[in-house]
Amino acid sequence: MTNPVRLGVLGLVIIAFFAVLGLRLWTMQVTEAQAYEDRALSNQVRIVTTPAPRGDIFDANGVKLAGTRSALAAIVDLALVDKDDRESLAQNLAAFLDTPASEVAELFEASNQGLQITIAEDLSDAQATFLLEHRESFPGVNVVPQPIRTYPLGELGAHVIGYIGRPNAEDLEREDVKGNDFVGKAGVERSYDQLLRGTEGIVEYRVDAKRKVLALESEETPTAGGNLILTIDADVQSQLQSSLRDGLIQARRLEMEERREALSDTSIPQLLAEGLERERAEAAEAAAARSEADGTTSTTGDDQESDSGSRGATPEPINIEAIDVLGALYPGLPLDTNGVCVPVQRLTIPLGGQIVLSGVEPRTVRFDAVEEVGGRFLATVTVENETESVKNNQSFASTLQVLDISEERVILYHRDKWCPVRTVGVVENPNDGSIIAMASYPDFDPTAFVDGLSQAQWDELGTVSAFQNFAVQGLYAPASTFKTLPYVLALEESYYPLDRGVGDKEVGGETAAPSEPDDAGSDTGEDVVEPEPDADPVIEPLLTDTDEYSCTGEFKFQLNDGTVQTKRDWKWPGGHGPLDLHGALQASCDLYFWDIALRLWNERSDESGIDKENLLQEYARGFGFGTATGIDLPFERDGLVPDRAWFKAEQREGSPRVRADGSWVGGDLMDFAVGQGATLTTPLQMANSLAAMVNGGTVWTPRVVDEVVDQDGNVITENPPLVARTMDLDPRTGRMLLADLQQVVNNQDRGTARSAFQNFGPGVELIGGKTGTSEIIKAPRAQHYKQVDSAFFVGVAPITNPEWVVSVVVERGGSGGRVAAPVARQVFQFLMNGEAGVTELAPGLDAD
Amino acid sequence: MAFATRTSESTTYRQNRGPLRPDIVLVLTYLTLSAIGLLMIYSATAPGLLAAGDDPAQQLKEQAIFMVIGFIVFTVVSSIDLTEVRGFIGPIYVVVIGMLVLVLTPVGDSQGIAQRWIDLGPIQFQPSELAKIAVILMLASILASSDVPLHWRTVARALVIVGVPSLLIFAQPDLGTMLVFAFVLLAMLFVGGSTIRQLGFLFVATAVGTVGVFKMDLIKEYQINRLTAFIDPGAHELSLSYNQVQSEIAIGSGGLLGKGLFEGTQTNLRFVPVQSSDFIFTAVGEQFGFVGSIIVIALFGVLLFRLLAIAGSARDRFGSLVATGIAAMFAFHVFVNIGMTIRIMPVTGLPLPFMSAGGTVFVAMSAALGLAHSVWMRRSVAPGDRRRG
Repeated sequence: MTNPVRLGVLGLVIIAFFAVLGLRLWTMQVTEAQAYEDRALSNQVRIVTTPAPRGDIFDANGVKLAGTRSALAAIVDLALVDKDDRESLAQNLAAFLDTPASEVAELFEASNQGLQITIAEDLSDAQATFLLEHRESFPGVNVVPQPIRTYPLGELGAHVIGYIGRPNAEDLEREDVKGNDFVGKAGVERSYDQLLRGTEGIVEYRVDAKRKVLALESEETPTAGGNLILTIDADVQSQLQSSLRDGLIQARRLEMEERREALSDTSIPQLLAEGLERERAEAAEAAAARSEADGTTSTTGDDQESDSGSRGATPEPINIEAIDVLGALYPGLPLDTNGVCVPVQRLTIPLGGQIVLSGVEPRTVRFDAVEEVGGRFLATVTVENETESVKNNQSFASTLQVLDISEERVILYHRDKWCPVRTVGVVENPNDGSIIAMASYPDFDPTAFVDGLSQAQWDELGTVSAFQNFAVQGLYAPASTFKTLPYVLALEESYYPLDRGVGDKEVGGETAAPSEPDDAGSDTGEDVVEPEPDADPVIEPLLTDTDEYSCTGEFKFQLNDGTVQTKRDWKWPGGHGPLDLHGALQASCDLYFWDIALRLWNERSDESGIDKENLLQEYARGFGFGTATGIDLPFERDGLVPDRAWFKAEQREGSPRVRADGSWVGGDLMDFAVGQGATLTTPLQMANSLAAMVNGGTVWTPRVVDEVVDQDGNVITENPPLVARTMDLDPRTGRMLLADLQQVVNNQDRGTARSAFQNFGPGVELIGGKTGTSEIIKAPRAQHYKQVDSAFFVGVAPITNPEWVVSVVVERGGSGGRVAAPVARQVFQFLMNGEAGVTELAPGLDAD
Repeated sequence: MAFATRTSESTTYRQNRGPLRPDIVLVLTYLTLSAIGLLMIYSATAPGLLAAGDDPAQQLKEQAIFMVIGFIVFTVVSSIDLTEVRGFIGPIYVVVIGMLVLVLTPVGDSQGIAQRWIDLGPIQFQPSELAKIAVILMLASILASSDVPLHWRTVARALVIVGVPSLLIFAQPDLGTMLVFAFVLLAMLFVGGSTIRQLGFLFVATAVGTVGVFKMDLIKEYQINRLTAFIDPGAHELSLSYNQVQSEIAIGSGGLLGKGLFEGTQTNLRFVPVQSSDFIFTAVGEQFGFVGSIIVIALFGVLLFRLLAIAGSARDRFGSLVATGIAAMFAFHVFVNIGMTIRIMPVTGLPLPFMSAGGTVFVAMSAALGLAHSVWMRRSVAPGDRRRG
């Protein structure tokens, strides 16, 4: 018979089993019930968001620069697709999209179940109809409206407008940003992102397990983003961009001329000369082919047309063939298709192949062999006659860097450090700080970012930092354009001309001086005397022959510690002759401004109680140098105003920017006075500081957005002109400065910009400006010593009542008078005389 | 049927032994569980059928028909005196083994991922449910005729009896049924008088064997998933964790008192796959909460208590062991099935007795319960009778 005890044990085992069930049910249904309830609730709700249309961007005159087009996208909701159907769906989609099925399958794999995947964007009507009519072949596929960003004028204003893209980790920290949104990445698209985006619509549905919609729970319609009204004038912007582009090409041509001259001196084979002939012939052929292609595309209305169309709309004053500045290197030549140098190249060389590098001397680089060592490739590369074994990321032959090595090819990065790399320009209204135009070239079409940048686009544009706005992100030693600062200081502090008060000087010309009130010391706005509107626009030269300083070109000076040093002017050997302060600015005599700095230095501990060692820095900071101007654009940089404190701090950190030993000396202050040394400014700071000097001392916070309006035109946010600070300037200072700047352009004996403005046309006497040339690198290269200069020009017009301040930089371009002033000249021609007044670009005389 | 000719004889026998007294508690519990099951099946299937435009009571009606068949089978089996039919157990066992072989041949119908059905025109059935009963009867038969304590020889025979159908079922594959066999074997050997050493040996062997099976297949993880997965034919193949997560949410969100009949969101919106069959307990948990769940578990407790009582009061060892085996089978089903819905057990596809939707299962479970009930009705009337083997 069975054992009753054992039956009892079996009963206990069963009781134990059931106790486990009971305990677990207790925890689930009593202790943690709330958490499960929440999960059950979230199970049933499905949130569908509708993107809000992004706000448009208009220029000051209502020209649309960025808009939104309504397109259709195909999305797949995998939760609606049975597993068995996935493969066939992937195949159908692949056939529909004309991509390999594996790619679609990968997309499916990569996504979580329940996530909606965008399969195709910007469908044509026919495609959308096809998808909808063949639902049975495309289960779970839906066609939804999708706003697509458009930039109707392409490159126009690209650096101000910026671009949009998918959010990165930092963007995703924002509460209103989701992974598949677009956010502004640069320009006003970034700085005004919040206002542009609007509020997305949120619809909550109740769904069942198959995600079938059962009921609408709540619905919030999307609110469109605000429209930006910029201060930019599209016409001026267009002229600025076209002038910057032509200016860069001109600078590169001039560089190539120099190189050819240098090469003909040596025994290097006439590779260049011969090649140039060949290249020119082929370039002409290519240009012909291109214009033919343009003709056909314009009739078919292809997408590419918009690009050439916008180009075509801009005036083409100079006779340079159709241009593709960053085009492929010409085979066998260190030139691009324009026959000019290439500042940055990404070279792919097949094994056994060779390529000629852009450079002062053409050098050949050859990829000889490759070997694998410890899982990494080592490439044997020959540059001219020197063979080297290189690995990834290695820099070699002074200008080359390895990007990637494989068995078939090597990818190299090459810099031609002497090739002009970019041009930057800013046009600002000195009366309210509005930016009328701003650009750097190479530029880009923001449309490229809408679909995501291709590798080819990145190679072409990313390597030359085309996406960065160098007007606010570029840092340059301002060179002689900076001399306006010690000029203003000298007048304001009654410091120069030597031992004479400013009031003694005859200033402002005959038209202004008589109307000057007696209480000239007052600095209120009403008291600033404006030139009479109907006054003779011709400005009297302010030159006097008194208080001259003999500018010999060589400056021997004694510091108050007794040491004697020598500094040389840019014109040395040779000098400017006898000059006073005004003449010194017009001729850009370094010595005169060094002398100002030297006097500041030598009197730094005098009885006056003024901190003269830092006085010039104070003026610089006052006019906005050394700190970001606060313009409503992202990534703006501060620049640098060097002083003793900075010098010490850098030295402590072992920075290569300062001497390892010694302290801040008079020579450093003298370098600073002429915008050299460690001084760094942005092109915007150059324009904005000049604006303050000529408008009576108002330092504006520049702005590119005037206001933000809603879809009905009601103002949402105003961005009125904002005064950063006011400099207490004697009204005569500004007038005197304007008169001298006018001479820089108009004085036919010594004005450094005179030749650049020679054929300006009517109104040249209303233009003032200052050239500058910063010496970046003086590097020994083979037998040559070659100086790499960056060219600057800041200008103002009309000097009787300034409306525009222009600053132009040609990075590594040469001298300011030669390459930068002509670019500014075209912009001023456009501003003063309209499109018809713009004349062909030509290099000016080589002058600082 | 062979049983039919025996009926008159057993009637005579019964008259000799006194009146047949049904176990009222057992029968009431059985009927109550079946009724709750029917209601739960309706609550779980009606929304889906309604949405599809079908009769919402469609599955309720199908299940009700099977239940009626089940009750008839229960009544018929209850009326059979098992001692009279012991001679047929061997042949029945052989026939069932034959059916298990047949399932694996092309005759067997593969639905879903497992091949475990036999298609007999309008009727399909799963021989593995019959196999459970056949194995219990066979084990009871050989253990009842052995000496106590059991010889190693008897243990070996018992192992073979369980082993052959286990291997065939493993080939289907149906891990749940194999585990039922293992548990039933251990329980019956224990109650049937094996030594502790024998049990220890078997326990270790079972453990090693189970681990071995998993280890071997660990190389291909999907096979383990298959082994541990029972997905009702016709249902969509969905990930295992999805099943259990949704089932857990359903039960947990029921709270103390539940969301109320027909008010379960998980149930109504069909978040729990194969809810009416394997996951029927989630309908109880969500709609009636902790209280309802405990009541259902308690009902199973009452049923099992009655079965053990039957085992204790059977007139012979054979009847006692049959009742023990059936109790063990039900206990294991209930524990593993409910455990699966609350994520303390893997998904093995063992139905909840009398509640899960499914024809063969309900009829087979009813038959099993009928066997035990038959033992009760013929329990010892005089102490002297209990000694007969």
